[in-house]
Amino acid sequence: MTQVNITNLTKRYPNQPAPVLDNFSLFVENGEMVALLGPSGSGKSTLLKLITGIERPDTGDVQFDGVSILNLPPSKRGAVFMFQKSYLFPFLSVEENIGFGLKVKRTPRDEICREVGRMLELIGLPGIEKRKPSQLSGGEQQRVALARALVTHPKLLLLDEPLSSLDTEVRLGLQEAIRNIQQELKIATIFVTHDLGEAMAMSNRMAILLNGRVAALDQPNVLFHRPPCVESARFVGVNLFLSGEAANGWLDSAVGRVKIRDAKKAGRGVFAIRPEHIRLFKEPKENALPGVVQGCLYRGEYMEYQLALGGQTTRARLPLSAGMFAHGEPVFVQLPAENLFEVAG
Amino acid sequence: MRDRLIFSPWLALAPALTIIVLLLGASLAYGLAQSLGLMSGLNESSFSLRAYADLFSGQGIAGREFWGSLGFSLWVSLASTLISAFLALLLAFWLSGSRFDTLALNSNLAFPHLVWAIGLLLLLSQSGLLARWAASLGWISMPAEFPVLVRDKYGFGIILSYIGKEVPFLALLIISVLKTQPDGYNLVAENLGASRWQRIRYVTLPLVLPALLSGSLLAFAFIFSSYEVPALLGVNYPRMLPVLALRFFNDPDLSARADGMAISLVITVITLVVAWISLRKGEQ
Amino acid sequence: MTQDPLSAFENNIAPPLKIRVLDFWGRLGGGLPRIPLYTLLAAPLGVFILYAFSQGWFFPAPFPETWTTSAFERVLSDSRTLTSLRDSLMIAAAVSLLSLVIGFPAARALGLRQFRGRQAAWLLLYLPTVVPPLAIGMGLNILFLQIGLAGSLHGIVLAHLVPTLPYVTFTLAGAFARYDEAYEFQAWVLGAGAWRTLFTVTLPMIAPSLAVAALFAFLISWSQYLLTLLIGSGRVITLPVLLFSAASGGNPVTIAVLALVFLAPPALVIVATARHLHGGEIREQY
Repeated sequence: MTQVNITNLTKRYPNQPAPVLDNFSLFVENGEMVALLGPSGSGKSTLLKLITGIERPDTGDVQFDGVSILNLPPSKRGAVFMFQKSYLFPFLSVEENIGFGLKVKRTPRDEICREVGRMLELIGLPGIEKRKPSQLSGGEQQRVALARALVTHPKLLLLDEPLSSLDTEVRLGLQEAIRNIQQELKIATIFVTHDLGEAMAMSNRMAILLNGRVAALDQPNVLFHRPPCVESARFVGVNLFLSGEAANGWLDSAVGRVKIRDAKKAGRGVFAIRPEHIRLFKEPKENALPGVVQGCLYRGEYMEYQLALGGQTTRARLPLSAGMFAHGEPVFVQLPAENLFEVAG
Repeated sequence: MRDRLIFSPWLALAPALTIIVLLLGASLAYGLAQSLGLMSGLNESSFSLRAYADLFSGQGIAGREFWGSLGFSLWVSLASTLISAFLALLLAFWLSGSRFDTLALNSNLAFPHLVWAIGLLLLLSQSGLLARWAASLGWISMPAEFPVLVRDKYGFGIILSYIGKEVPFLALLIISVLKTQPDGYNLVAENLGASRWQRIRYVTLPLVLPALLSGSLLAFAFIFSSYEVPALLGVNYPRMLPVLALRFFNDPDLSARADGMAISLVITVITLVVAWISLRKGEQ
Repeated sequence: MTQDPLSAFENNIAPPLKIRVLDFWGRLGGGLPRIPLYTLLAAPLGVFILYAFSQGWFFPAPFPETWTTSAFERVLSDSRTLTSLRDSLMIAAAVSLLSLVIGFPAARALGLRQFRGRQAAWLLLYLPTVVPPLAIGMGLNILFLQIGLAGSLHGIVLAHLVPTLPYVTFTLAGAFARYDEAYEFQAWVLGAGAWRTLFTVTLPMIAPSLAVAALFAFLISWSQYLLTLLIGSGRVITLPVLLFSAASGGNPVTIAVLALVFLAPPALVIVATARHLHGGEIREQY
C-alpha cells in the first residue's frame, strides 16, 4: 500500500490568465479511493497528467512513500491511468494488451500467461484472451483496460472519468467491479468524475476541486450533508443560503427569521439547507417562511419545486407522497432547524 | 520525458528540411549561376546575361530555337491538358465509380510515364503493332505508308501519350469529388424541376470544376517541364523546351551550358507560376 | 378453377423473368462501353507481352510466327540488364528506407503539432514536387561533380530523396493528423520507454500509412530517369536508363522484354501493399 502525498502543485498554461492548478494538495493512504469532483476545466485532467509525468508542474511535489517522483519518467513512476476511452492497442489481442506492462519488464512468457489469466478472472471476463479489442463491448473494453493497468502492480491508480461513455446498466456494474477490485488489491486510487452520485458511491473520501485547489475534502456522507463552504455546497446540490445575524438561536436574514440549532452562535453567519430537507405546507408552520411555487418538475424519484422565497429563487425536492403544489401557489417553506447548518462565507 | 521525446518540431523537421533546402537550393543556385555565365568551367567566367539575351532575342544556336520550342511546348501542354480534362469529365460522369473501375484507373496511374510512352511507340510506330495489323488487312503495303503518329512534328504522339496518363488521373480526381457530393443537392434540384442536364450543369459541374481546374493546372505544369516523353516520342525539330535545355546542357561546348541552364530556369519559372495558381485554386 | 397454362406463365413466371433479362442486358449495355476503355488501358501491356514472347516477327505479319521465352533468357542473362536491375533495386530500397527514416520525425512534427512557421515548413516540403526535375538534376549535376558524388550510387540515392521526401512526409503526416497520442501515454505509464513505445505502439498504429509511404518512395525512385541520367553521368545505368536507350535504338523485342522486367518489381510491391491502398493515395502522388 503506497502513501501518495501531493503538495502545493501549481500549473499554469501559457495563454491562460489563471493557473489550472493552484497550490493543490492531497494525501492518499491506506489503499483508499479518493474521488476528485469538479466542473469541467477545473484541472482534474491536468492533475493526472502531472502525476503520471506527461507534464511537469511549475511548483510543488508528488511523493510516493515519501520519495519524490517528479524526476522520474512516466515509465518508472508506477502511476497508471484509465481514460474515458479504453486505449487498448487495436493491433494486439486482449492477452497481449493486458500483458503489455509485464512484457516490458521482460517477465517470462508463462508467468505473463498466468497473470493474465488471473486478471481476467478478477475482472469477470475469463476466456477472452485471444479476442481483439474491436470485438469487445464498451464495458468489456474498460474492464480489460483496468486489468492492463492493474497487472503491473501500480503504486497509484488514476481513473479519469472511465465510465462516462458507458450505458447506465453497464456503468453501474462497472462501478461495483472497480470498487471491489480496488478494495481487494488495496491500491491507492484517485477517481476523477463530474458525477456526484458516482463519486459518493465509489470513494472513501471525496475532494471537490474548484479554481485549481481543493475546496473540500472529507468522507462522502459528510461532504454531502455538511459541506464546509458555499462553493462546495453548491457543488453537492445545495442552493438555499441564508446570510444574516445570528443571536440566541435565531437567524435574521433577508429571507426571513428562522430558528437555528446552535443557540450559542452570535454574529454574522451563512446557513444552508439541503433541498430534500425543505418541506412545503399550505398553512404556516414553525420555521416556515412564505414563498411562491414558480415551477415544478417531475424527476421520477422526487418532485422538484422552484420556489421564490424572500427575493431568492431556490429549489426544493419533495417525495411524491408529500402532496402536490401547483404553479403560482403560495406556500409555506419550512426549513427545519435541525437541518440548517452553517457554512463558511 | 515528454520534453525529451516530443522535442521541438524544428528538430524533428531538420533532417528532411535540410536535405531539401540544401539540394534544392544548391541546384537552383548553381543553375542560376551557370545561366548567368558564372561557374561554366571555362577559364574566364564572368557575369553575363548573354544566355538570356540570346534566348529572348532569338539569336545564337539556342536562341533560334527557343521561341519555336516555347510555342511547341505550350501547344503540346495545352492540347494534352484540355483534351484530357474534357475526356476525364466524360469518363467520370459515365463511370459509376465502382471499385473495379477505380482499380483499373489506379493501376494506370502506377504505370510509369516512360513505359507508357514506350508502349505507345511499339503500338503506333510505322513498324509497330497497328501498322502490322493494317498491313495484314491489306490497307498498306509497307511501313512508310502507315501514318506518322509518333515521332511526328506536330507532337501528336507526345500528346497522345500524355492524354493516356492524364485522363485517368483527372477522372479519378473528379470521381473522388463526386463521391463527396451529398445527394441532397441533386435531390433538391430535381425536386425543383431541374432536368438531368440542368442538374449536371448547375449543381455537379460547379462542384467539380475547381478541383478539375486545379488538377489540370498541375498536369499542365508537369507536362510542360517533363523530359522523358518528348525525348522519346519527339523529333529533332521542333523540340519541347526540356529536350532543348538538355541538349545544350550536354553540349561539348561549355559555353552552351549557360543556354541550357537559362532555358531550364525559364521552364522552372513558368512551372512554378502555374503550380502556384493551381495551389491557390485548390485552396478555394 | 385453374388458369390456362399460358396465362399462368404470363402472370407468375414471366414478370420476374422479364426483370432478370432486362437487368442482365441493362448491365451488359452499361458495361459494354467499358470494354474499349479497359482495352485502351491495357494496350501497352498487351503490346509488350506480344513482342516479348515473339520470335522472328516480321512486318507485315499481324502476330509473331513463334512464341518463345528465348528473348527473356537472352536479355536476362545479359550482364548489363542484371547490373541495372540490381542497381535499380538497391537504389530504390535505400531511398525507401532513408526517406522513411528522415520523413517520419518530420511528418510527426507536421501532423501532430501546431507551431509557428508550420505553413512555411509545409511549403518548403512541398516545393520539390513542383520544381522541375530537369532544373534540379542539372543543378545537382554540377554540385555533385564538385563534391565528388557524381556517378556514384550514393549520389543518386541522395538525389532521389528530393522527389520522394515530400510524398513520404505528407503521407505520414496525414496519418499523424488522425493519430491519438494517448496510446503512447498509456504505453509509458505501463513501463515502456521512449524507443520501446516507438517500435511497439507508434509504428504498428501507423503501419498502413508506412506501407503506402514506402510504396510511394519505391515507385518514385524506381521510375526516375532524368535525375539518374544527370547525376549518374553515364556511370550508373539503372533500369529506366537502360530501357530508354533501348527504346531509342530499335529492337522491339528487347524493348518489350526490358519493359516487362521494369514493370515487374513495382507490380509486386503494389500487390504486397494492396491491402492498405484505396486509390486516393496513388493519385496523391501527383
